[in-house]
Amino acid sequence: MFSVSKDYAPPFGMIAPFFVIGSIFFFLGTLFLLMLDPSRGHFDPLIAGWVHWFLLGFVMMIIFGAMAQLIPVVVEVGHHSVDLYYVIWPLLLVGTLAMVAGFWAWPAVLPYGGLLVLTAMLIYLYDTLMTLRKVQNVTLTVKTAVAANLFLTTGIVVGFVMTLAIGAGVDVDISWWLGTHAVLVLGGYVVLTIMGLSLILLPMFGLAHGFDERPVERAFNLMLGGVLLHLFSTLIGFDFGRFAAIFVMIAAIGLYLWQVYLIYNVRARKENDIWARSMFFGYGSLVVAVLLAIPAAIFGSEKLILASGWFLILGFVTFLITGHLYKIIPFLVWFERYSPLVGKQRVPMLQEMYPKGMADMEFAFSATGVVVAGLGILFGLRDLYYGGVILLIVGAGFLLASVKWMLSFGKTETE
Amino acid sequence: MCDITKEQVYDAISNVIDPEVGFNLVEMGLIYDAIIDDVCNVKVVMTLSTRGCPLHQMLTQWVKDAVETRVPGVKNVEVEVVWEPEWNISMADDNVKKALGAL
Repeated sequence: MFSVSKDYAPPFGMIAPFFVIGSIFFFLGTLFLLMLDPSRGHFDPLIAGWVHWFLLGFVMMIIFGAMAQLIPVVVEVGHHSVDLYYVIWPLLLVGTLAMVAGFWAWPAVLPYGGLLVLTAMLIYLYDTLMTLRKVQNVTLTVKTAVAANLFLTTGIVVGFVMTLAIGAGVDVDISWWLGTHAVLVLGGYVVLTIMGLSLILLPMFGLAHGFDERPVERAFNLMLGGVLLHLFSTLIGFDFGRFAAIFVMIAAIGLYLWQVYLIYNVRARKENDIWARSMFFGYGSLVVAVLLAIPAAIFGSEKLILASGWFLILGFVTFLITGHLYKIIPFLVWFERYSPLVGKQRVPMLQEMYPKGMADMEFAFSATGVVVAGLGILFGLRDLYYGGVILLIVGAGFLLASVKWMLSFGKTETE
Repeated sequence: MCDITKEQVYDAISNVIDPEVGFNLVEMGLIYDAIIDDVCNVKVVMTLSTRGCPLHQMLTQWVKDAVETRVPGVKNVEVEVVWEPEWNISMADDNVKKALGAL
């Protein structure tokens, strides 16, 4: 009789909604891209609403679901209060919908949506920080998690104040604070979190060992310094500090990419499955985003800013998330449905638990769509942008179908 | 005197398969030693392919269960996870290296 210890594992029913909702937001988010006109610039409320739809409803929703499962295994202690995750996703869901409604139609709703999102984030932060307090082995991943979560909170508070400016007329210079809001949330939370987690996940899935970790340590310190420099420069009105902070963060990303290359070089597992291909495309997109960000920071070109943001969000962040969905969801399903059967009957391998054909189609359509639409934004060619978006929509449809397939795997067989 | 052999312990553990890579723990080279004392208590010394492995608890539990249920006459089974020496692909059997593209 085999038994399974589940001390660190949150219930499947608790995490599944994060992935289902996140995938739906991803699919609908690609549809909404058809409403946008990249020539209108990044201050356009339609674009601002879409960015919040995508980053909160897809990126944050999936990151939070993944964190519910990953934090305990990465830091080797159980959650402080894992049940809090039952209230995080409804708050984040309703808050995101209200915020997007505020951007697109009713500005007065924006602060209420912002408050709900802020509450969800604070609950997540409370559980995460209380969990991290129990950790004795303070690794770089733990440090990045603490820093990232503090930046997230600051970023969301800044964002909430901005919603009050838009929806309730509070006197805040939105154009001045928008950059810092984006730096805190995207650089301070999303990129730092990816840096910390990838130091665990890339070697784990690639079976890489014995690599030098100094580049990512320096990348972490530089990113920390860059985000703080941007924040304090904004507070004291020091424009050159904000400009310099962008280059400090670009240097941090450069070092991080070097670290990824070092891990890639020593990996033992060389098969190019959907995860590996998604990582290649994601990191390739990050290189493109950085290369576009340098002239964008110097010349302030709107096309360069939007194209850099496109490759950062749709190329890098999206593909790192979607690639890991093909690892995380099969594991959760396997853990829920098959781990009790180990030793009693043959159980499937994780690589049998995702739909390879659909995943290949998802990758092909999405990757092509990101490149084509990205070129459309960069060169101001609207038809190219919309053509790329159509491809991206088809890819997102395949992702949605793949998530449904993975979540249903073995459902009737094990019931 | 106990007549359980290391081979019996390794054979039992070879039924434990890592669902992520699809190989058993012995051919992965994750089992470093099996220490059997005079009264048939068994201590398995093993490692994992990565420190943050989400299957950490399950794999060690499966190793314990496999030895307890498949080795006749065994008394207490203890599983110790060590990180030195750090596992690397050279410790795996050739069939594993070949399948993963490392050979």
